[in-house]
Amino acid sequence: MSFFLPKLTTKKDIDEVIKAVAEKVLVLRFGRDDDSVCLQLDEILSKTAHDLSNMASIYIVDVDKAPIYTRYFDISYIPSTVFFFNGQHMKVDYGSPDHTKFVGSFKTKQDFIDLIEVIYRGAMRGKMIVQSPIDPQNIPKYDLLYHGI
Amino acid sequence: MGAYYCAICNQTTFCGKKKHIFGKNHQSRLRVVLLKFTEKVKEARRTLKRPQVEKFDCTQHKQKFWCYCCGLEVERDVTDDNMTVMYGGLLEHMATREHRNSTYKFWWDNKADPKLRDRVLITEEETERFKAEVAKVLESFVEKEDEYIKQQADVIRAQEKHRQEVFQCLLEPNEERELSNGPSSTDPSVEVSVSSQFQSQVSEQQVGSRFDPIIEAPWTLAGRSLTFIGYQDSSSSGNVHTGAVPPWLQEDPLEGPSGAAAQAEIGPSLQEFLKQKEQEKLRKLPPNRVGANFDHSSHTDANWLPSFGRVWNSGRRWQSRHQFRQEEGQKNKQKRKREHATSGSKTTKPAKQAPSSDI
Repeated sequence: MSFFLPKLTTKKDIDEVIKAVAEKVLVLRFGRDDDSVCLQLDEILSKTAHDLSNMASIYIVDVDKAPIYTRYFDISYIPSTVFFFNGQHMKVDYGSPDHTKFVGSFKTKQDFIDLIEVIYRGAMRGKMIVQSPIDPQNIPKYDLLYHGI
Repeated sequence: MGAYYCAICNQTTFCGKKKHIFGKNHQSRLRVVLLKFTEKVKEARRTLKRPQVEKFDCTQHKQKFWCYCCGLEVERDVTDDNMTVMYGGLLEHMATREHRNSTYKFWWDNKADPKLRDRVLITEEETERFKAEVAKVLESFVEKEDEYIKQQADVIRAQEKHRQEVFQCLLEPNEERELSNGPSSTDPSVEVSVSSQFQSQVSEQQVGSRFDPIIEAPWTLAGRSLTFIGYQDSSSSGNVHTGAVPPWLQEDPLEGPSGAAAQAEIGPSLQEFLKQKEQEKLRKLPPNRVGANFDHSSHTDANWLPSFGRVWNSGRRWQSRHQFRQEEGQKNKQKRKREHATSGSKTTKPAKQAPSSDI
């Protein structure tokens, strides 16, 4: 949990934020404030938030507060970080099974900064999916389970 | 056995002069050289019987050409800065003894075709003939030039005369005044009618100096036809010469009560100005960025979902939204079914039992 990053509690807030952030990357961290990995991630996010303020806006979302988005974004592991640009969802290929969000925490602040920069540049060029600059060793591993309908 | 430089091939051979000259390379180059050379000479020969004389043109007539036989640069034409005899220089050079000697040498050294040799030489008889023709043509040329000059002079004289006549029309109404100004001025005005070059020049000078008083006279004459609207009295408010405030900067007498509104500020308000600044910034961004045409202020209802590419989907993104809504719908249906099932179980049982009894 960070005292500097703004929190969103309702779907309406999240909608407004997605629509309002213009020409910057929108970072939505889905997780719980008491989870240990979430705390690590939050620390990295809050420490880099000021430096990245021209490129990105970072928000914290509790997965229990907005269940519709938890289902819509298919969040099964926390923390999960979803990226938007001008209301459009940005996909990133990390070398992991799920390109739609970043699962887990970053190893260093620099990894996160690099990732934001790559997303920003890709978005400026009109790309909706970009290649992650983070070393695959530093990406947390998880199994993606398919829930049959 | 030394190094021998062949000027035609632009190469140095070490095997010996004779060997190189019979080679294929040398002979082909030689042929090209001779062709070019003879072309130039052909042009010149055409003028042998009918020499061309033209007025001297400094850009064209001082051209030189390279004589391969002598290894010299020779001027093509002969000129005395007034007239030129085209190809005169070339023909003169070809007639000289030295050129004849060097031509023979060149032909022998390079083993060229002897039939072509005579084309490059010009005999003495030909030169004599050429000189006579040239003299005749020069005379006729000079005559023509003189005639042309005379024609030009006539044209100029006619123009001058026409101009004097025009001046006459202007002078006539003022001749009385001119006479009163002084008897000296009448003499040139009389001489004006005589059309001779020298006198017309003098009278032109006189007319030029007297032009100023003449100008005033016609204008005051024409002034009699204008309408007089009265003497403007601007002693109360002042006019442009006294340095008064111009009417368009003065307070408008009609604008009494509404003067306050006009005092309001002009230009965009602060809000609009800030908006304009934002728009300027946006214009600098690349136009093909993601979501460039995303309307940030659009009002969306409570069921709005952002464009998200779901995990197990491939294809268009709206499909994920669609699919999600479907799933949500199914979930709601399942929930409702369960509720129905618990509440309506008593009513279904008797319905089920009835048909079973028929079977």
